[in-house]
Amino acid sequence: MKDMTKEILTGAAGRRRNGSGDPLGPNSEIGRKLKQYYDELVSDDVPDRFAQLLRQLERTEPAQKKD
Amino acid sequence: MAAVSQGFKTDLLGAIPSLRAFAVSLTQNADKADDLVQETLVKAWDKHESFQPGTNLKAWLFTILRNEFYSQMRKRGREVQDSDGIMTARLAVHPAQHGQLDLKDFRGALEQLPEDQREAIILIGASGFSYEEAAEICGCAVGTIKSRVSRARTRLQEILKISGEDEYGPDAISTQVTGTAAH
Repeated sequence: MKDMTKEILTGAAGRRRNGSGDPLGPNSEIGRKLKQYYDELVSDDVPDRFAQLLRQLERTEPAQKKD
Repeated sequence: MAAVSQGFKTDLLGAIPSLRAFAVSLTQNADKADDLVQETLVKAWDKHESFQPGTNLKAWLFTILRNEFYSQMRKRGREVQDSDGIMTARLAVHPAQHGQLDLKDFRGALEQLPEDQREAIILIGASGFSYEEAAEICGCAVGTIKSRVSRARTRLQEILKISGEDEYGPDAISTQVTGTAAH
């Protein structure tokens, strides 16, 4: 498919190699793993302490009009 | 001082999963990461007036989190993240077989990167920021981010013994195909 292009792009310029011109794009093993690693972290359940914290911050705000 | 708007609060809540992911990437420790996110939320709340509505809230929050991380590190006198023994153990990564790279190995490799390189490659390769935004978050030049990302990528390839990504010879291509199918 795009293999020829990739091989051609390889030689000189070096920097932007993969299909989309993105060295961390979907054609890069490192790029895919990075996203997998990060997506797993992002999809982790958020502990309730953070919602509690925001509620607490809201309450301790100097009494003023809300919104 | 104006009250924090509901919209701001909702956006803060929405940003928490990303903040936690970035915090874990920086600290490599789930508990420290959550403390860091907590500090970030409190700081963001306190200085909410300095946020320009319509600009990138996520980038603003990441900047706060990052500053907090480095100021804590300075206070602690830059405690070493990991013992040498563990590092060495993690160095022994098997070469990727059939393009299947274990996520655990990847995590271990990521941990070995210097912070500046790790944060750069995370911001660009995972959090979805542009080079310009990442430079702003890290308070450095775009070129600096580019070179950190590039060094991080090279280092990860070395640690994980991924070769050929730059060359795309026939082997590399079949590896890519296998890798994609597994994703």
